[in-house]
Amino acid sequence: MIMKKETPGQNPPDLTVAIGGLVLKNPVMTASGTFGYGEEYVPYCDLNRLGAVVVKGLSLEPRLGNPPPRIIETPSGMLNAVGLQNVGVRAFLSEKLPFLRRYDVAVIANIFGETVDQYRRVAHILSGAAGIHALELNISCPNVKKGGVAFGARPEAAAEVTANVRAETDLPLIVKLTPNVADIAEIALAVEEAGADGVSLINTLTGMSVDIEKRIPHLANVTGGLSGPAIKPVALRMVWQVVHAVKIPVIGIGGIMTAADALEFLIAGARAIQVGTANFVRPSATMEIIDGISDYLTRHGLGSIDKLIGSLNTNPSNGD
Amino acid sequence: MPEGSSVTTGEILDNRMVARDHFLMRVFLPLSFARPLPGQFVMVRDCRLSGPLLARPLSVFGFQRRPDHSVMELLYRVAGRGTSLFSRMKPGEGLCVLGPLGRGFSIHADVKRIVVVAGGVGIAPLSFLVDEGYRQSPSLEKRELRVYLGAGTEELLTCRERLSGVCDLRICTDDGSLGYRGPVTGLLGEELHEFAAEDTAIYACGPTAMIRELGRLLRNSPLRCEVSLEERMACGVGACLGCAVAVQNAAGRREYRRVCHDGPVFDLREMIFNGS
Repeated sequence: MIMKKETPGQNPPDLTVAIGGLVLKNPVMTASGTFGYGEEYVPYCDLNRLGAVVVKGLSLEPRLGNPPPRIIETPSGMLNAVGLQNVGVRAFLSEKLPFLRRYDVAVIANIFGETVDQYRRVAHILSGAAGIHALELNISCPNVKKGGVAFGARPEAAAEVTANVRAETDLPLIVKLTPNVADIAEIALAVEEAGADGVSLINTLTGMSVDIEKRIPHLANVTGGLSGPAIKPVALRMVWQVVHAVKIPVIGIGGIMTAADALEFLIAGARAIQVGTANFVRPSATMEIIDGISDYLTRHGLGSIDKLIGSLNTNPSNGD
Repeated sequence: MPEGSSVTTGEILDNRMVARDHFLMRVFLPLSFARPLPGQFVMVRDCRLSGPLLARPLSVFGFQRRPDHSVMELLYRVAGRGTSLFSRMKPGEGLCVLGPLGRGFSIHADVKRIVVVAGGVGIAPLSFLVDEGYRQSPSLEKRELRVYLGAGTEELLTCRERLSGVCDLRICTDDGSLGYRGPVTGLLGEELHEFAAEDTAIYACGPTAMIRELGRLLRNSPLRCEVSLEERMACGVGACLGCAVAVQNAAGRREYRRVCHDGPVFDLREMIFNGS
């Protein structure tokens, strides 16, 4: 049970943030692929309190996913190679979305395709459905043979798929970026110019782990995506770079386990954040993070989260 | 989703070695922690967060309600970093427990004979099934219980005392140091003709090779058999899709199910074994 803290005689701070036309009650979202379709977390979270739920990546047709083993824990993190197993966009609309619509929470559909045309068709189907508040374009999955990161690694390809989906939908469009590139800001700029309303970063870092006794990879896919606290400093650095490169809102993702982690991203300029691996470790992590952000703003006398976002002072000796 | 699952802080009452590499941990839990069903599991980790990032899935081995608290028993084998750290935890230390989780064993009211096939630490959920699912049910006391309990060697065997008085216990060791020499599926195969499909239910848990061999043994048999599977997990609640297992769905097509959420107990006949 989650008890809302009441401070007598003091209004709770305003946590509202906007991403394009999408207004969220607070900046805390669940990262795609770490929260199922929401239902799995009902015993541990009040979905009504979340800024948004970003659902597991959806493709035009159902996907079987990769063979097991799919995950392995690594120092301060984990590798996964699930391979975008999902029920397909139509089954999502008929079987999964009705449950989420019972809650007062923004639903962001993460979408994936092997071709530009598949991305367009998934976006088209979702745009006609009630109860979808935004799209997150996954051009950054490292665990599939076709599509995914192939679109996210080059600015021209990223811009092409973004522009095509943009033409297909009026929904706010977020593009999720891969860190497995030389210059992430260049990709962010390309998708901004192609019509994205926001960018979210980072997806997982490509990694690998070996079972030395059997001399085989720990993952059947050989490589996988690294997530968890291990990637947080890298994610924070990339968010900070992208915040300074683009004008559209940036959503920070990568190893956020606590409110303190979330605050680092917000101070560095992220308009919102996504919680991923922490949901696996502490299923009510998002609730603790929302409370922690609110408490921090109260403690620092900030009436609104707008005053915090991007408030990083990189020249503290010149400050007061 | 399992009824009444929650995140609870328990306290270790004791944690002792019961056989080589095998430990029995008893955990004090508040009454708010829901009573687990046989075959369900919990995700556990050291509350201090100093250990591994992810919790570890452990089957429930025993559960007792007391007037003002509950005691949960976890029987585990030290298999890696997580369980090695568990084995060094002391009484009084806090254990974060998420659960009870997953779909447990079916309890059959109509069978006369229960056959349990356990390899190694796979006995943990099965012992709880025998005790909680059948022995404590007054209407079921006339059931015949037969347990095939296997391990590599005698010193790796657990639960002999717990099981010996209450069932027909058949011990198997790979090296023949105690009981039948060979795998549990070897002895089961020799005695399979004793069982009739209409009055027998088989339950199994053990290493992948044992489950695969069981699948081969029972391929053309009408005997019903449920197996509890083990897989690496991150979340335990069905979200991460890390613990995938290949099954044949109702339409005859291959698909992946989640051991944590769709299992850990599956009908043996649904399973697809590589190379079979």
